[in-house]
Amino acid sequence: MDKILEKCGELLEDINFKAIREWKESHPGAKAVAYFPVYAPVELIHAAGMLPVGLSGAGDRLDIQHADARFGSFICSIVKTTMEMGMTGHLQPFDALLFSTICDSARNLCFVMKRNFPEIYVDFLHLPQNPSSPASSDFLAEEYRRILHGLEDLCGRKIEDGQIRNSISVYNRDRALIREICELRAREPHTIRAWESYLLIRAGNLLPVEEHIALLEDALTKLRERQNKKRDSIRIVIEGSFCEQPPLALLRLIEEAGCYVVADDFTIGQSWFDSDVPTVGDPVMALANSYNECSVYSSVRHDFRHPRWFALPEKVKATKADAVLFLIAKFCEPAYFDYVPFKQELERAGIPHLQVEFEEKLFTFDRMRMEVETFVESLVFD
Amino acid sequence: MRIAAGVDVGSTQTKAVILSDTGGMKILARALVDTGANVQKAAERAFDKCCAEAGVQAQEVGYVVGTGYGRYKISFGNAQMTEISCHAKGAHFLCPGTRTVIDMGGQDSKAISVGLNGEVLDFVMNDKCAAGTGRFLANAAEVMGIGLDEIGPLSLKATRPVKIATVCTVFVESDILSYLAQGKKGEDILGGVHLAIAKRTVSLARRLNIEPEVTMTGGVARNIGMVRALEEVLGLRMEISTDAHFMGALGAALFAIEKLDQSFEFGVWKGDHANRSGH
Amino acid sequence: MLAWYEKLDRAANTGDPPTVSMMISGNCVELLEGFGAVPLYPEVNALQLAIRHQSLEPILAAEELGYAADHCADVKADIGCLLTGITPTGGKLPTPTLILCNFVGCNTYLKWFEHTAKLSGAPLYVIDIPFMRTDEPMKADVEYVVKQLKETVEKLEKLIGRKFDYDRFRQAVACSSRTENLWSQIKHLAKNRPSPFDAYFDAITLMGPLYVYRAKPEGVAFFEAALAEMQAKCDAGLGVYEKEHFRLVMEGPPPYPYFRTFRDMFAKWQACAVASTYSTVGGLWEFGFRHDPDKPFESVALHMIQQNVTNRNYLQRYEQIKRYVEEWNADGIIIHFVKSCRLFSAGQGDMRDYFTKQLGIPTLYIESDLEDPRYFSEAQTRTRIDAFFESLEHSKAAAAVQHWT
Repeated sequence: MDKILEKCGELLEDINFKAIREWKESHPGAKAVAYFPVYAPVELIHAAGMLPVGLSGAGDRLDIQHADARFGSFICSIVKTTMEMGMTGHLQPFDALLFSTICDSARNLCFVMKRNFPEIYVDFLHLPQNPSSPASSDFLAEEYRRILHGLEDLCGRKIEDGQIRNSISVYNRDRALIREICELRAREPHTIRAWESYLLIRAGNLLPVEEHIALLEDALTKLRERQNKKRDSIRIVIEGSFCEQPPLALLRLIEEAGCYVVADDFTIGQSWFDSDVPTVGDPVMALANSYNECSVYSSVRHDFRHPRWFALPEKVKATKADAVLFLIAKFCEPAYFDYVPFKQELERAGIPHLQVEFEEKLFTFDRMRMEVETFVESLVFD
Repeated sequence: MRIAAGVDVGSTQTKAVILSDTGGMKILARALVDTGANVQKAAERAFDKCCAEAGVQAQEVGYVVGTGYGRYKISFGNAQMTEISCHAKGAHFLCPGTRTVIDMGGQDSKAISVGLNGEVLDFVMNDKCAAGTGRFLANAAEVMGIGLDEIGPLSLKATRPVKIATVCTVFVESDILSYLAQGKKGEDILGGVHLAIAKRTVSLARRLNIEPEVTMTGGVARNIGMVRALEEVLGLRMEISTDAHFMGALGAALFAIEKLDQSFEFGVWKGDHANRSGH
Repeated sequence: MLAWYEKLDRAANTGDPPTVSMMISGNCVELLEGFGAVPLYPEVNALQLAIRHQSLEPILAAEELGYAADHCADVKADIGCLLTGITPTGGKLPTPTLILCNFVGCNTYLKWFEHTAKLSGAPLYVIDIPFMRTDEPMKADVEYVVKQLKETVEKLEKLIGRKFDYDRFRQAVACSSRTENLWSQIKHLAKNRPSPFDAYFDAITLMGPLYVYRAKPEGVAFFEAALAEMQAKCDAGLGVYEKEHFRLVMEGPPPYPYFRTFRDMFAKWQACAVASTYSTVGGLWEFGFRHDPDKPFESVALHMIQQNVTNRNYLQRYEQIKRYVEEWNADGIIIHFVKSCRLFSAGQGDMRDYFTKQLGIPTLYIESDLEDPRYFSEAQTRTRIDAFFESLEHSKAAAAVQHWT
């Protein structure tokens, strides 16, 4: 198990993307398509025979020396480290870069990168924000087909519906395994730590999906055999870290401070659908419908049929959590916004909560440790 | 004798320079006073002190240009120019090959692209935040209980400079304390601090085209640790003048000399400007 | 504009006329005319508060509720209004019949209206406008928007209890076309030397009627008068200043709490804006687009997709500015970074890089906020502006000398 986790850790840390380069070498002519958080239709990229790679900034592994000339203050770090990676040649293995509707800063980043890196195919995917309209799925299906044409141009061949259905099937399996891990953690949080499930799931952003499936199956077998002792910890849901990621050390610190993280939104892009995407009929339409009808709630998607501030207390109940920790990246506008109504509803439901701001490039956490410990103490010594 | 003066009113110190260009441009004197609470009086004190040093009467000074944040409060001034224009002018006078100026002062830092005649082509400023300014270094020195004059030389002794995550002066203080508690050596901490500021400053400067010669001006130029750190990050040697602290006042004085014998109509230089041997 | 606030006050007290809350950029005010509904613009409230120096109290009230320090201050001011009951004119503001979020690129718009809906209890409908991610809008984009516009009509019919008057709608679209034509002509007058008005400070002041009255005869009358006034100034060779010394293109919103002070900093140098991007928030009319009464739904959709600054991508904004510099003959560009608005400001460093390094156009970068009065430093802003003009003055002088020698 340790070896698996170590491998995952290495993958995540590597901003030179050695594994991607090696994959390209062993698949001559094949392309790698990187995508900025949160969600991307990876099935389409996979069907084109390309490797989808989920970017998540460079954390503290890259000093921002050039990108802050382009993106100044009051902008979140992940936008800057992503730009910095581009400006220092780290994104060289990628043939394409996909962005989508998440927030104003990320959207501007897409076009700034388009200008600065003309050798990469950069595109912006408009994900619908009006799912209650019957026209929404038709629009998204068209939008997916547009991206498909772009991918077809890139790989030089037509992508058949059958191939897409196959890719959907594969990713359904990957998502099912991810769900299993999350459910295991919610049921028996002493069996698997949050940082462990994080590594296992996130590695899927950097591996061919088939390898990820094998890795998860292997890990689950080993996890079921684990005999960890239960810890005296409060059960928390972490909310707000769907894009810029906190350093892993911060996650460990939160657990060490006395928390079981029974649910979180770190890897929300990888568990985007709450059920399998259908593999019959028009696969592009299936993906579009699933996006509108079967997506989990998120701060980057508007859906007023069931506002997300009601969904959060429901999640807390469903996972039998004691409290919510809002872990928000500094300057993350969607998270800042959602915090207010989330907080209101939690208060209405009598659920304790704490808000902590982080930056991906932090590596000293004394203040945060104190905040979380104090919070835990306040709940334990009621 | 044609004599002119420049007065640079900064938030902590006020500087004055008197120039004459009879028989070649010559700095007659420099003066430095603490600004204190009264900007107007500080300008007067600096100017008077400078006149005394130069051995000239105030009336002999034909033109005075004020600069610095207090430039509008100099009642005896004939004109004002921003310190950006003045630093460029002054740096170019002392080092004619100057094409980029990096100015690190007490309260702000800036980078200036300088043209062939010492004119400002482009500039970027950091005046919102203490990082990259003298204030940051002063805070660091205070937290460590070391004199401001000592932190530079001490930082040069670093063998393993520590990593400084953020250049927010508030957070760096606690980071420094944390490192001290961990037993890190003073020179390594300071080495890390200087390097972090240098990176931040060069990052700012990169918004322009950094072209050599790069001249450093401003009070922080006296900090040898900062100079070396900047050179390391830039990858080239910088010009530093012993007059770095007076660059603003010098530039102002140069503008004053120019305005002495030009009648300047808005937007158009008349007189023999075209025939002047350029500086 | 006061008349508009009076109507809103009446609506608040009597429930008539129906009101629809919208965002300024890419608004479909023509649709409202089909119901005789009056638009409500939370952004205008926020800006009015800032200009009248009343924004701090509502902002603080919002922050107490949990809104972050780094949140868009417009939102905080407006939400603060809802919380405290403060309004710009002292009159009442109604709870809208429908909160219609025209999502045109700005994610903040979406969140803002979600929160307003939660707080006020009014129904919310989001018109999802596909972002300009290709050079021209696609057929599927226009179809999607038209379908949603028709859904909006259905929804409003149910809420108001009145049938949509298609003829009134068409007339409104025709009216808009005329208003736009006048506005475009006014914008083009700034090409004159000297420009008869400041295309930033004055244009912003003129914008209000553009989105409140665009589709009404009052709008046409207002802009006819404005055009006549500007034209007369042009004919007399009158500019904004005694002598126009510098022509600028302005990018970004102004610091509303310091509108006057900011304006004076440019007035000192007799620098006049001949074009601005912010004044195209209410619609981009100077490059030829007009609403088309023969294709009312489609042209409303096209405006919402393509003809406003917020739904256009960042590179398209670069092109817009470049066109202004070239066709309106500007000497330089002022980029005003505002911490509240990431749509405008995220990436302005790259914009600066493009204009200075690639095109060699003098560009000044300054920072403050559009709404929050705590984030403006007069001395620092003045220094940057002065330094920029000192430099520009010198290059003009040098160019003049070169011209003679």
